[in-house]
Amino acid sequence: MPKIFFATDLHGSEVCWKKFLNAGKFYGAEVLICGGDMTGKAIVPIVSENGHYTVALGGEEQAVAADQVGEVEANIRRKGYYPLRMSVGRLHELDQDPVKRAECFQEVMLEGVDRWMGLAADKLRGSGIRCFVCPGNDDEMEVDDVIRRAELVELGEGHVVEIDGFSMISTGWSNPTPWKTHREESEEKLAARIDAMASQIPDPSRAIFNLHCPPYKSGLDEAPAIDADLKLLHGGRALRPVGSTAVREAIERRQPLISLHGHIHESKGAVKIGKTLSINPGSAYEEGMLMGAIIQLDPKKGIKSYQLVNG
Amino acid sequence: MADTTMGTPATAARPSLFLRNATGLVKAWSTFDAFIYSFWSINLITLGLYGMSYVYTVPDGQLLVGILLFGVLVTFLVITYAMLVSVMPRTGGDYAWQSRVLGGGLGFVLSITGWWFTLFLWAPIYANILVVQFFSPLAYTLGWTGVATFFTSQTGIFVSCLIVLAFVSVVVTMGMETYARIQKVCFWIGLAGLAVVCGLLLFYSQSDFQNAFNREATSLFGAPANAYQGTIDAASKTFGGSSFGTFAFGPVLLLLPWLAFYLLWPNWGATLYGEVRGAKDIRKPFWSMFAGLWVTVAMVAVVVLLINKTIGWNFYQSANAAYWNNLFAVQGAAAPPVPIWPYPVMFAGFLVNNHLFQALLIIVMGLWFFGWAGTLFLSSTRVIFAAAFDRVLPAWAANISAKRRVPYGSLALMIVPSIVISAIYAFKPSFTSVFLDATAVLALTFFATVVAAIILPWRRKDLYEASPIARYKVAGVPAITIVGVITGLFLLFMLYEWSFNKDNLYGTSFQSTPNSVYYFLATYVVAVVIYVVARVVRNRQGIDLRRIHHEIPVE
Repeated sequence: MPKIFFATDLHGSEVCWKKFLNAGKFYGAEVLICGGDMTGKAIVPIVSENGHYTVALGGEEQAVAADQVGEVEANIRRKGYYPLRMSVGRLHELDQDPVKRAECFQEVMLEGVDRWMGLAADKLRGSGIRCFVCPGNDDEMEVDDVIRRAELVELGEGHVVEIDGFSMISTGWSNPTPWKTHREESEEKLAARIDAMASQIPDPSRAIFNLHCPPYKSGLDEAPAIDADLKLLHGGRALRPVGSTAVREAIERRQPLISLHGHIHESKGAVKIGKTLSINPGSAYEEGMLMGAIIQLDPKKGIKSYQLVNG
Repeated sequence: MADTTMGTPATAARPSLFLRNATGLVKAWSTFDAFIYSFWSINLITLGLYGMSYVYTVPDGQLLVGILLFGVLVTFLVITYAMLVSVMPRTGGDYAWQSRVLGGGLGFVLSITGWWFTLFLWAPIYANILVVQFFSPLAYTLGWTGVATFFTSQTGIFVSCLIVLAFVSVVVTMGMETYARIQKVCFWIGLAGLAVVCGLLLFYSQSDFQNAFNREATSLFGAPANAYQGTIDAASKTFGGSSFGTFAFGPVLLLLPWLAFYLLWPNWGATLYGEVRGAKDIRKPFWSMFAGLWVTVAMVAVVVLLINKTIGWNFYQSANAAYWNNLFAVQGAAAPPVPIWPYPVMFAGFLVNNHLFQALLIIVMGLWFFGWAGTLFLSSTRVIFAAAFDRVLPAWAANISAKRRVPYGSLALMIVPSIVISAIYAFKPSFTSVFLDATAVLALTFFATVVAAIILPWRRKDLYEASPIARYKVAGVPAITIVGVITGLFLLFMLYEWSFNKDNLYGTSFQSTPNSVYYFLATYVVAVVIYVVARVVRNRQGIDLRRIHHEIPVE
C-alpha cells in the first residue's frame, strides 16, 4: 500500500524542492505530493557596477567579486528568493515600473518552476515514484502550464486522481486573504469547486482531500493577527483562525480518510475532524528545512500510521 | 500582481529587494509590543520584589551593583537567543533549537522537564505571590483580618493555587489576542501605580515613613508601639543587619542566583512568529529583549534607591529576614510585629493616611500580577503541542475544542498535575525546597539551549552559514559561540551555587535538600521513560521517532 510524503509551501526554496524529490527514497515513500505555493516571493537584485556586483541580503549591502556570484546566488535560492543579475539601469527600471516588475517576476518564477520540473525528471526517472504538484494561491496561473509539460510530475489541480485504490482531489485555491493573491475566491465559489471534485469520489473513506487552504478553526489555520496595514499585532503573539469554512464544511460533510493542507506556515499540526485526519505539516522553507508528513496507507485500516517530520 | 517594492531600510537609496504580493508577507510587529512582552516576563513588581525579598541572605551583597552586573550578564543570554532566532526564526523555541542541534531525544527530555514538569511548580509560586502582594495586604487594609489569615492557612494556600490555575485556564480559553489587550491596559495602569509609589517614596522622608509604619502597624495589625524598631529587633535574632553602602565583590556574585528569579527571563518570548521582512535580522528580537531587560534594570535601580532613601535599607532587609526566617522556622527566629510579607507598595501606601487610598494602590499594583500571570502555561502548551505533533505524546494532547479553540488536552496535562503539586505545596511544607529549585531547572533548560548555540556553527553548518549572523566573528571564532560560552559560564556558576552552596544559601543545596534532588531526578527519569516508551510504541506502529529531525540529503 502506498506510503505518501506530503510537503507544501516551498516558496521558491530550491533546497527544499531538492529535499522533496529525495524524500521518496529517504523515507521509502512511493508517492510525493507537493501542496502548493511553489513560487518565491522576492527577487534579490545582484547589481553589476564598477567591475563587481552589489547585493543586499539579510539587511546589509555587500560587494561581491564576479567569481563569488554563483555562491551568492545559491544562498539566495536556498532562502526561496530569486537572484537576478542586472545593471543599475535595469534596477531603477524595475523599481519604477510595476508592469515591468510583474513581467520580470513572472519570467523568473516560470523559469524557476521549469528548472524544478527538470530536476524532478532527473531525480525521479526510473524510481517508480509518482509525484503530484498542485499550485497554491501564491502561484500564478501560468505555473500550471509548466507543470503540465513536465515529464514526471502530475498536475493535481481540479482533478480526481487514483493512487493505488485511493482517490485524491486537489485544489490550491483559497478563501480571500489580505494579500489578494492569484487563486482566491469567495467561500461559496470555493465550496462549489471542491464539491465538483468531491462528488466524483466513489468512497470517501478512501479519499484524500489535498486542499491548500486549511479548514477554519481547526488549529491548522492559526496565523499571527495583523491589522489592515498588514502589521503584526501584539508582538506577533496573538493568533487568529484564518482557514476556509468551505474546506471545513467539505471535510465535515464528506469525511474523507485524510485531508492535506498548507497555506499557514506557522500552524503545523494534525487533528481529527470527525473521522478525517487533517494535516498541515507547516513550512520553514526560508531555513532550508523541509517540513512534511509521512502517511502510510492501508487497504483495511485506511491510515496505518502518520508522522510529521523536519527533513 | 507584483506591485509592491520594498528596499532595504539600511540602504534606502535604491531597492535591494523586490517583493510581490504573497500570503504571509507582513510588516514587522511594533518593537513596543514585543518590548511589553519581554518587560512582563521580567516583571519588576511581582517577580522582582518577591525575588529581592530573599537577598537579605547575602547582607554584604550590594544589590544595586548586583542588579547591574546581572543585567550585563543576561545581555549575553539575550544576544545568544536573538542570534538563534535569527538563524531559525520559524521554528524557534528551546524545544526546536535543542532538538535540531542536540538531537530529538535530548531536546525532548530537557524541554519537557523545563517547560512542562517544572511549570507545575510555578503555579504555587504564582499563588504565593498573589497572596502576599494582593489578597493579604488588601484584606488587612480593608480590615478583613479573617480573609488575610485564611490565606496563610494550608487550605488558604491551596485555594490560592486553585485561583491561579482557574485564572490561567480562563486566559488560555479567551486566547492570547484578548489577553494581549488586557495586558496593555494592565501595563499602563500598573505603570501609573508605580509612578505613584515612586512619587510617595521620593517626596516623603524616612522619619515620615517610620511614623506612618508605626501608625498602620497598630491600626491594621494591632502591633505594639514603634513597630518599626520592633521589626528590626525581631529580625536581629537571626539577622545581623545590612547596610546599603557595603560593597564586596564575592557577596555580589552570591546575589546573582537570587536575582535570576526575575531577571533571567527577557528571552521568554523568543519564539517569534511570522514571515516578516528582515525576520532573520537579529536587531528586532535583540532590541525587544534588550529593552525589556534594561528598562526593568533601570526601574529596579530606582525602586531600590527609593526604598533605601525612605523605607531604610536595614529596616527593609530586617523585615524580609524577620518574615521569612519566622515562616521557615529558622532556629531562634522571632515573629515580626507586622505578620505580613514586607510589600514595598503597601509600605508606600502607608505614607497616605487613608485606607481607601492604600487599598486602591494595592489593587492598581495588582494589575502587575494579572497582566503577567496569565501566560504561565503558554510555553508549556506549545511544548506539549510540539511533542504531540512529533508523536512522542499521544495525539489527544494537542486536541483543540472546535467551538472555542481551547487546547483542552494540553491544558489538562498542565492543570491536573499542578493541582496535585499545589496540594503538596500547601499541605507538605517539607517540600518547600523543591519550589525554590524551579528557577534552577529553567536555567538548566536555557543552558542546554546555550550549548546548542555554542556548537551550532559546526553541528548545523548549513543553517549557520546561510544565516545573517555568519558574518559576525571575533578572531575567526563565530560570535554566537563566544557569547554562548560567556552565557554558559554565567548559567553554570548559578547552577553550581544553587546545587552546592555550602551554606545552603538558596535553600536548594543538594546536601541539605534531598527532596528537591529526588523530585528533579524523578522528572528527568519520567521524561526519559516517556521518550523511550514512545519510541517503542511508535516503532510497533511503523513510526521511527529518530527520523523526525533527520535531514533529507539535498543532492
